[in-house]
Amino acid sequence: MPQATYLEAIRQGLWEEMESDPTVFCIGEDIGIYGGAFKVTDGFVHHFGPQRVIDTPIAESAIVGAAFGAALTGMRPVAEFQFMDFIGCAFNQIVNMVAKSHYRWGAPAPLVLRGPCGGGVHGGPFHSQNPEMYFVHTPGMKVVAPSTPADAKGLIKSAVRDNNPVLFLEHKFLYRRIKDEVPEGDYTVPIGKARLHRPGRDLSIITYAAMVHTAQEAAELLAKEGIEVEILDLRTLLPLDREAIAQTVKKTNKVILLHEDTRTGGLAGELAAIINEEAFDDLDGPIVRITSLDTPVPFSPPLEHFFLPKVEDVVREARKLHAY
Amino acid sequence: MATKSKSAKSAKPTTRKTSANGRTSSGKSAPIKASVNGRPAPLAKAPAIYVNQFGIPDWRLEHPEFTVREVTSGPEVHYEISGKLNTPVPPLRESKYMNKDQHLALYRWMLMNRRMEVALENLYKQSKVVGGVYFGLGQEACSCASAFALGKDDWFAPMIRNQGAQLVRGFHARDIMMQYMAKAGSPTHGKDGTSHYGDIEKRQMVAPISMLGDLLPVMAGVSLGARMQGRELACLTWIGDGGQSTGVSYEGINFAAVRKLGLVLIIESNLWAYSTPTEYQVNVKDLANRAIGYGMPGVIIDGTDACQVYDATYEAVERAHRGEGPTLIEAKLMRMKGHAIHDAAAYVPKEMHEFWRTRDCIDRFQKYLIEKKWLTPAQDAELMAGVEKEIDAEREFAENSPMPEGHTAAEGVYCDGTCHAIKPKYAMPKKARRSEGKLKETEAAIHFK
Repeated sequence: MPQATYLEAIRQGLWEEMESDPTVFCIGEDIGIYGGAFKVTDGFVHHFGPQRVIDTPIAESAIVGAAFGAALTGMRPVAEFQFMDFIGCAFNQIVNMVAKSHYRWGAPAPLVLRGPCGGGVHGGPFHSQNPEMYFVHTPGMKVVAPSTPADAKGLIKSAVRDNNPVLFLEHKFLYRRIKDEVPEGDYTVPIGKARLHRPGRDLSIITYAAMVHTAQEAAELLAKEGIEVEILDLRTLLPLDREAIAQTVKKTNKVILLHEDTRTGGLAGELAAIINEEAFDDLDGPIVRITSLDTPVPFSPPLEHFFLPKVEDVVREARKLHAY
Repeated sequence: MATKSKSAKSAKPTTRKTSANGRTSSGKSAPIKASVNGRPAPLAKAPAIYVNQFGIPDWRLEHPEFTVREVTSGPEVHYEISGKLNTPVPPLRESKYMNKDQHLALYRWMLMNRRMEVALENLYKQSKVVGGVYFGLGQEACSCASAFALGKDDWFAPMIRNQGAQLVRGFHARDIMMQYMAKAGSPTHGKDGTSHYGDIEKRQMVAPISMLGDLLPVMAGVSLGARMQGRELACLTWIGDGGQSTGVSYEGINFAAVRKLGLVLIIESNLWAYSTPTEYQVNVKDLANRAIGYGMPGVIIDGTDACQVYDATYEAVERAHRGEGPTLIEAKLMRMKGHAIHDAAAYVPKEMHEFWRTRDCIDRFQKYLIEKKWLTPAQDAELMAGVEKEIDAEREFAENSPMPEGHTAAEGVYCDGTCHAIKPKYAMPKKARRSEGKLKETEAAIHFK
């Protein structure tokens, strides 16, 4: 099987969708000749032409609004946020115009809103955020956050083909750090389905995006101590795969919820509620949350290191929970 | 007499096609056809056009000078108006593009608009409306004549006061009434109210949201999507002097200008944003001046003159059809009721209301048609009776419709693929294969590693 980085996998998925469906087009800041701040659309403008790879003014509401307008004529726009932190600039357009349109007036909004999120690259408070929960709390949206190249490619293709607005979160820390096998040919990964990243017996870590790799490192260390950790990669944050969540809890009876997003109002709270509803009787210990701090993402490396969840945090909490 | 009566009758639209103006769908009643190749010859010799200090053409036949200010007197703060308020009412500017039948058809739409809003007010007073009612009293010319100037395939997105535009573009009064009454049969099946509905299939109407300005980039995007499918379409929307204050308004207009998209934007300078006068909204006299900053044509018109509204929109639509980009039309007029039905608009100085009352768009258009001998008082009465009858029937239909069943609240959040098929509305976009070959791995430097 060929290998690709997380970044290349997304590029392949987008390229293939644009090749096969002429209604797909990209719109965003500096995505044309420059190829995007992270080069996701590098070379696209030469192949697909400037009509389908559209550079815009620095105006996120205009990007989302124009993408939605084009979608109303039957197009499938893929709008890029240069950094996901800037999605706040288009919040009203997404939450009130786009996400509610099918419910209110029966107009589907088949757009993809994609871009880099996440910390660990010393990007500071405005180039490191994880904005998923604003949109997980928005009925009408779908929210996707892959952790592997194979999932990233399969999910971007599903997102493009979906009839609903899909927020596609690309973790920038993974762009060129993760390289792995990517299936050949045209394949998709379904939105709304979690993936068992690592089977285990003693406790489950439910997580997504870059933290899947943190959990994996911790699991390898814990395995040496005889603690077998199961890792469930959610992949889609809205709608959540309740069945897979319940299944892993019923199997290991102990669960850690891990995410890079901040703690209060983070996805872990929602996951805990689902576990309470679906598998309360199966729990043999308290539900443990490991998240970043309830602060903005700090800039200086020691501060950011302190802010983010780390392998040692996971190892420590897993030992405690295992012994409970 | 017999011929005249026939004309009035033929002006009454018998069907609900979006081509109600006869502009592009049939040449029978419209000798002037929308054309991308050339302008129709003007029908009338127009008075000279005034140009303001910034070079923006101002088609109005009067240039009222007054200012509203906050004044503290005794224990109270209130608004006072100063300036010339006793000037004579100007005539209408003769339309260059509308023929007699179109004038009469447009007049009927304006009557429908007003009469429907009277019916809505009555429904509200009978407690049959859920929530409030919004009125476009005094703005019927601006809503109807602009929508009337669109071509069959053009798009529009109404604001809360553009209820007349919805009628002109083929919706029924019952649709709007059922929206206000939150009925199951309303276009949104009770999911939303007022003018908050749309139709991307047949009537090309984009549903507004309550936040102002967000429709502007959306309409630019509709034009962009159509262009990718080989069509240059006009996308008409309106915004108030208040609504245009939002940042997204700037983003949308600027994007349309940069990409030369077919946005036709009418700023309805209706002098009051809820209770705030224009003087406390913007520090410019003419919002059309902002067209210069956007790099697009701007024009000022009298929003109570149906002929000016039609002609200015017509020219903007033609520009859009030629792919030349957006146009900003500032229509000067006044909102003649409160923000919504609960608001008595007591903050509006009485003499200001009186100034605009004498410039009522329907009264002036009626007088114009009668003076032109295109309409007799008898035909006018007949027309009004027909409008009343139609509105009564629409009201009855709306009142008799059921309320939605509660459980339907849970339906329709997502498009599961069985409810809608996504396909290009006009044509599959052409692939522009500009380079051979495959995706190459990127090696370029990136922002953060």
